[in-house]
Amino acid sequence: MGKKCLDYINDLNDYIDGQIDSDLYQEIENHLKQCENCRIMIDTLKKTVSLCREGKELKELKLPPPLEKKLNDMLKKHWQEKFGK
Amino acid sequence: MNERELVKRAKAGDYDAFTTLVNDNKNKIYSLAIKMIGNTEDAEDIVQETLLKAIDNIDRFREESSFGTWLYSIALNQARALLTKQKQTDLKPIEEYLPTKSAEDLHKKSIPNLFEWKDPHKELEDEELKKIIDKVIDSLPWKYKEVFLLRYLEELPIKEIAKIINESVASTKSRVLRAKLAIREQLSKVFKERYGEKMFRLH
Repeated sequence: MGKKCLDYINDLNDYIDGQIDSDLYQEIENHLKQCENCRIMIDTLKKTVSLCREGKELKELKLPPPLEKKLNDMLKKHWQEKFGK
Repeated sequence: MNERELVKRAKAGDYDAFTTLVNDNKNKIYSLAIKMIGNTEDAEDIVQETLLKAIDNIDRFREESSFGTWLYSIALNQARALLTKQKQTDLKPIEEYLPTKSAEDLHKKSIPNLFEWKDPHKELEDEELKKIIDKVIDSLPWKYKEVFLLRYLEELPIKEIAKIINESVASTKSRVLRAKLAIREQLSKVFKERYGEKMFRLH
């Protein structure tokens, strides 16, 4: 990794996330063909993201119903205090 | 009724409009809070405080972002406040995470710290891997943890995360990258300590 690699560093997020314009994508691809360090970095960063996504709960959790009831009552009361209705 | 109309009505004191806006988002906030804080009790407090603050400040919501994004930013402030006592160490500059740092190192034949991981699933039980990942994410400094979770678990676009954390897009991207580099470094350490060289393809 040298100066050239560091020049790309801020575009790596977009590259890893697949959100990059095609010219820059091609430029980075060309660089990766020549630079093993960057290839390894990209590979391990991709694995980092996929491991974390596998390891963490991704589905949306729901508020427990008793809490939801308590919350609704509290919000309504607070609203009435603010708006008087 | 669209969100803009609902917000307009809520600002005028229409509680039903407010609850419609909240109902679309409260489970998202709860999920995010659990991921950020790690326990349901504190997450419940965060949801509660977030929504009470939303009522207090709805007149100040300028609609430059969606209502959900606004709620996320309040929730993250609440979570941050809850954890202010937690030590927040800053991360190293990006260059420090790179396998080599200078142009002179670029073509050296042997770079001892440069490696890539083999598939961790081949070496580790899934449950063990999950525990390691949880621990590593939880140990991140807050400002990196929040952007990482928002980007890769909540799957929010960078632009939206930038609004939530009130930073520029460039700075948000940089923070997300640092978070990834930090997690990778921590995972590498754990893998290496526990499983030695068999986790890596050394170069």
